[in-house]
Amino acid sequence: MPYRYISKRLGPLLALVVVGLGLFALSLGGCSTARWTVKPHQRELLADRIMQPDGNAQETAADDHVLSNREGAIGGSGTSGGGCGCN
Amino acid sequence: MRLQLRSPRRGTAALFGVCELLALAAVTLPSATARATQDAAARVTFFREPSKENNGINVVHPQLDLGTTLGPDFHFAAGYEVDIVSGATPAVFGPRTTGVDVVTAATKFSDTRHQVHGALAYQRPTSSVALGYSYGWESDYRSSAITGSTSSDLLDHNFTLALSYTHNFDSVCDANNSNIGDQLLDLKPLGRSDHCFKSAETDVATRKLAIDTFQPSLSWTATPKLLLQLGSTIQILDGFQSNPYRSVLVGMQHRTPQEHMPEYRQRYAVYARAIYALPAVRASGLFMARLYQDSWAVQAATGEIVLNKYFGSSLLVTLRGRYHLQGGASFYRDGKGYLELGPGGKYWTGDRELSPMSNYLTGGKVAFLRRPEQEKTSWFVEMELSAKYELLLYHLDSPDAPNADRTKAHIFQVAFSLRF
Repeated sequence: MPYRYISKRLGPLLALVVVGLGLFALSLGGCSTARWTVKPHQRELLADRIMQPDGNAQETAADDHVLSNREGAIGGSGTSGGGCGCN
Repeated sequence: MRLQLRSPRRGTAALFGVCELLALAAVTLPSATARATQDAAARVTFFREPSKENNGINVVHPQLDLGTTLGPDFHFAAGYEVDIVSGATPAVFGPRTTGVDVVTAATKFSDTRHQVHGALAYQRPTSSVALGYSYGWESDYRSSAITGSTSSDLLDHNFTLALSYTHNFDSVCDANNSNIGDQLLDLKPLGRSDHCFKSAETDVATRKLAIDTFQPSLSWTATPKLLLQLGSTIQILDGFQSNPYRSVLVGMQHRTPQEHMPEYRQRYAVYARAIYALPAVRASGLFMARLYQDSWAVQAATGEIVLNKYFGSSLLVTLRGRYHLQGGASFYRDGKGYLELGPGGKYWTGDRELSPMSNYLTGGKVAFLRRPEQEKTSWFVEMELSAKYELLLYHLDSPDAPNADRTKAHIFQVAFSLRF
């Protein structure tokens, strides 16, 4: 069971990110919709392919494959499903 | 949703007009009205890392992906990819500047990695969930991975919360070192792979590696021109992580044990991305910043800029610049350090990924796009043909660092995709 090894330094950071994202998402329900909302008719720019952070999954996978084998770091190329909410 | 800007002849003010209508339809129409679509994408990446001393590294990486909708709510995708690797690399990592005889000429090698993958997604107007599986195999490595991901649009599609989790069940072929006890300097490297994964062979052993990867992200449609994203990657690796073929020259007695790395590693990255639309010039800019650290004491920072611009109705040009800076692992030393000082503890490595280094990546892509919007006779919805070139420049902090003879890499890529 690898989780018992989670270091004292990284463990709280992991929890902070997960809990922070969750609380942020939950808190949105109490916000004023008008203040935060970009209306559907205002999404003409956002719907374009050049505004998609992970527009081409195959290309992203190929790029990540090259760099992840040549750097000590990972991440930063996004998560599938993220986007502008155009779908 | 992948949409293309319509022809500029229709006026700058309406550059994104078609996209507006389609985006509006996509978020308002019931999913049951969505038409069935299929998509196919093929891509080949050529990677060339030349060396000043030998043949360097060459990789050819073809990919094929197919996808189709299944009814109004499901999408199935499957793919196949291959890594054909060839080149030459020293079997022993040691100093290049002190002329130690044990650091011999590079050994030629070649290998082929195959991978198949498939995923089924259930998609609703404001959320989706997907399950996927992949299996990869090569002569000395096997990998099975399951992935679950979910995405939810919140607050009138202005926020997207995405979560992804992957577990790898990997097997690595290693030399059978069961008889050395705690004499780590006696570790032997794997000489060849033709005995791997054969239970009758006693000169090799199969080692396990489990990898858990968790990736949350939150996207925010901040304004009609600006999309922001904050995300993280947390990865835990437990098992054999050394290169089984590599040896490291350690100590003035010129011992050359197999590379020995810790079996546990926790990796952690946070990143932020912003994409800003520039409709006046039919372009966009993406900015990314990432911070990384892990339990091996590697720390890194990465920045990236991507610019996209349309020319005419069918040409999309992309420019990319990226800089990466990292520190070394706690047990890393360059070749001279391992020779003169010996290992810092019970671990040693000749992996460039674990050395203090930086790299620069610059390049560009040209894509030809075709989207016959109103042509009822057209049999496809969207087509793309693209070519890309990128140059990767390495800057190592020592002439005795791993692969110091390989200072750059060329990346060529051609791709074709079709949706119908």
